[in-house]
Amino acid sequence: MEHSTYPTLPLKNTVLFPHLVLPLSVGRSGSIAAVETALASEDKLIAVFPQTNPRTEEPTEDDLFRFGTVGIIKKMARSGDTVQILVQGIERVERLEVAQSEPYLSLKVATLSEPSDTGTEIEALHRTVIELAGRMIELVQPQVQVSIHHIISDVEKPLHQIYLLTSVLSLDFDKEKELLGASTQAEALHLMYRYLNHEVQVLEVRQKITSTAQTEIDKKQREYVLRQQLEAIQEELGEKNPEQAEISELRRRMEETELPELVRKEVEKELTRLERMPSAAPDYQLTRGYVELALELPWNKTTEDRLDLKRAREILDEDHFDLEDVKERIIEHLAVMKLNPEAKSPILCFVGPPGVGKTSVGQSIARALGRKFERMSLGGLHDEAELRGHRRTYIGAMPGRIVRAIRRAGYKNPLLMLDEIDKLGRDFRGDPAAALLEVLDPAQNVEFHDNYLDLPFDLSKVFFVTTANTLDTIPRPLLDRMEVLRLPGYSDEEKQHIARRYLIGRQIREAGLSEIQLSIPDETLSYLIRRYTREAGVRELERVLGRIARKVATQVAAGQTQPVTVTPKELVELLGPERFFAEEVRQQLPPGVAAGLAWTEAGGDILYVEAALLPEGKGLTLTGQLGNIMQESAKAAQSYLWSHTEEFKINQKTVRESGVHIHVPAGAIPKDGPSAGVTMATALTSAYTHWPVRNDTAMTGEITLSGLVLPVGGIKEKVLAAHRGGIRQVILPKENEKDLRELPEHVRQSIQFILAERIEEVLTAAIPELNRLHNRGAA
Amino acid sequence: MQVLINSEDRAYPECIWQPPADIYRIEQGWLVKLDLAGVRSEDIHLSIQGQHLIIQGLRRDWIVEAGQQYYSMEIAYNRFKRVIEFPNHLEHARITTQYRDGMLLIWLKTAPQGGV
Repeated sequence: MEHSTYPTLPLKNTVLFPHLVLPLSVGRSGSIAAVETALASEDKLIAVFPQTNPRTEEPTEDDLFRFGTVGIIKKMARSGDTVQILVQGIERVERLEVAQSEPYLSLKVATLSEPSDTGTEIEALHRTVIELAGRMIELVQPQVQVSIHHIISDVEKPLHQIYLLTSVLSLDFDKEKELLGASTQAEALHLMYRYLNHEVQVLEVRQKITSTAQTEIDKKQREYVLRQQLEAIQEELGEKNPEQAEISELRRRMEETELPELVRKEVEKELTRLERMPSAAPDYQLTRGYVELALELPWNKTTEDRLDLKRAREILDEDHFDLEDVKERIIEHLAVMKLNPEAKSPILCFVGPPGVGKTSVGQSIARALGRKFERMSLGGLHDEAELRGHRRTYIGAMPGRIVRAIRRAGYKNPLLMLDEIDKLGRDFRGDPAAALLEVLDPAQNVEFHDNYLDLPFDLSKVFFVTTANTLDTIPRPLLDRMEVLRLPGYSDEEKQHIARRYLIGRQIREAGLSEIQLSIPDETLSYLIRRYTREAGVRELERVLGRIARKVATQVAAGQTQPVTVTPKELVELLGPERFFAEEVRQQLPPGVAAGLAWTEAGGDILYVEAALLPEGKGLTLTGQLGNIMQESAKAAQSYLWSHTEEFKINQKTVRESGVHIHVPAGAIPKDGPSAGVTMATALTSAYTHWPVRNDTAMTGEITLSGLVLPVGGIKEKVLAAHRGGIRQVILPKENEKDLRELPEHVRQSIQFILAERIEEVLTAAIPELNRLHNRGAA
Repeated sequence: MQVLINSEDRAYPECIWQPPADIYRIEQGWLVKLDLAGVRSEDIHLSIQGQHLIIQGLRRDWIVEAGQQYYSMEIAYNRFKRVIEFPNHLEHARITTQYRDGMLLIWLKTAPQGGV
């Protein structure tokens, strides 16, 4: 081991390794003296030792690390009080003793031979260290694409590589010192492995933390950027936020829509309110809905009426069979509209049984006029607010049905059909009929007030059409506003025409068949009408025809190719057993039974009134759900008979000793009205006299106490019912003679009409025995 | 810690510096000129190994004047080594040297070039 003495340079925070070049700034006077001494030597060698404690300013031998490096000063430059030198490490040395300590430290050192130990362990360690060092470089500076192999490529010995790595990796001072102290390659590698392993672990954890934080920041950053972009786009489009955009859109619509001044002001006010309101406010949606409604309502939008009477007539004829009166009235109405457009539109009310075409007549009018058709059903409507809207202060407030219908129509002059006006309800929630009064009154509806809208809307241009099955339940004041047009039921022959013209074709098409595939001969049709339907309208008839068409369609779908002609016999197969019997006229009427004619909502019907004497009974018993008026009629009939017993050969004793029971069967149906008066009188007479009433005779008419027969309504329906039932003689009040014109010719021909002014005429016509008696009396 | 890494030094770690050299092709062979100012001729050692000419030695500094202070130093001292590779074997070359004005001139005379 060589021993030499060198001027010594203590290093505060760094270590010089052999084979590495280190720039140093020398400032301490002792150090400068040592450097100068080294420079003055021939070989410029200096011993460099790291201090054990970097904070010691004037280190002695004991303050130095045991191992150091002898280096050569390659370059030197003086700058001010410091000397910059470039030292290249040559070999490791171990300090032995102090040669001199003033003016600079000089140490006697022993040169340490370079370790050259080898083996598998060193090989393995070496590779691991290189790998770890690579990983560490990656972790420290991922952006630097320098591989560790590139750095150490020129260096062969593992120890030299480790020394070189110290310059690449930032190891701390103590670790570097330890490394310098390593006397074998294995020791140096072990140390390096330990440092790197620890370092890499720390770095990996740090990277994980950083990347998590980065992800978080990235997400926030991304959101921020997107929000900024969105804001920029909205600003560009003039939409600060969706609500704002909505309001701007509403405002734009308001500007584009032609609105009455009052409405414009109101909408303007609401829009301003909306702008200041947070979108989450409970009022927000309500106010928005209101503004939308106000903008959508057709304040000034009307369709132009096509007042071509000829064309209108054609359309009505095309759509409807017969109904001459109705059509004529409609044409008159259109004519007035043509001549005086400012005339207040009267309100038409179509009254008639179901299925006679009330609604479709309304549709035809709309079609003829070129107006929008809107329909709303009033059936079961109880709540006035339903019609007129709720005040906006209520939660869930809505405009009323009228305003909604107008909004749907999109024009202020639609044909608005108020269906089933006779079925309006009335209870604690108010009287919708009263609200309807305002709607239908031409004097008031110019400024119709909907509670929700809270702005007057002009309904005077609306063509109102109402429908009802009966007028009885329509409140009087409401009825006064309307012009009633009756649509009576159809006779069998009319039904047959209607079926031919409209129904059969429609049902065949709906079933997906062609007219060649299914034919229904007249005979079958009339059988069908008489045996399977009993109604004034044609709804049930159409349903039955539809059923036949579907049955045939099933056969065709199953592969049948032959056209089908339905015979009456096949009807049982297709529709099941007959539902009604034509022979509903009772074959033999016992004394005390008389056939009356009644008007029902479904058309006319034959109603049998039965009277029986109760021996030892008392007074008058009435059963069969009879209303007040009918009961009164019964009493009037009874009183009349009692006061005319002589005339009708009624036994006074019988009258005195027996009670009377009058029953009108079909008991579940409430019956009221005066038109059964003559029938009850006839039944009573028959009961008292024991002479039966003619079984082919039916009658209707009101009776007075003095025996007058007064006119009644619904003659057409009643006569048609009688005709359907096979009655051949009908007794009617004389004053109803004019109604006979409404009847189809063939019906008039097949029935004999007795027009009575007094009850005696009725009785003699109805009870053959009485007739004979009278004749005898006359003779 | 900042470390300057010199690739030349790394190539020959046992030496401290390498003298710069000019190489000429001459009629009889090669002329190598080395900048070895201040190096005593007895400190220079030449050797031939196959195609390689190896020049190594030592530059020692000497004191010019008593009481001098070093202000800046750029000249490398101590051990040097330079290995120069040639395209042909040099075993049989005749070597003559001349140390002139701080430059070492080395003639390597090989067989005369055919036809030249």
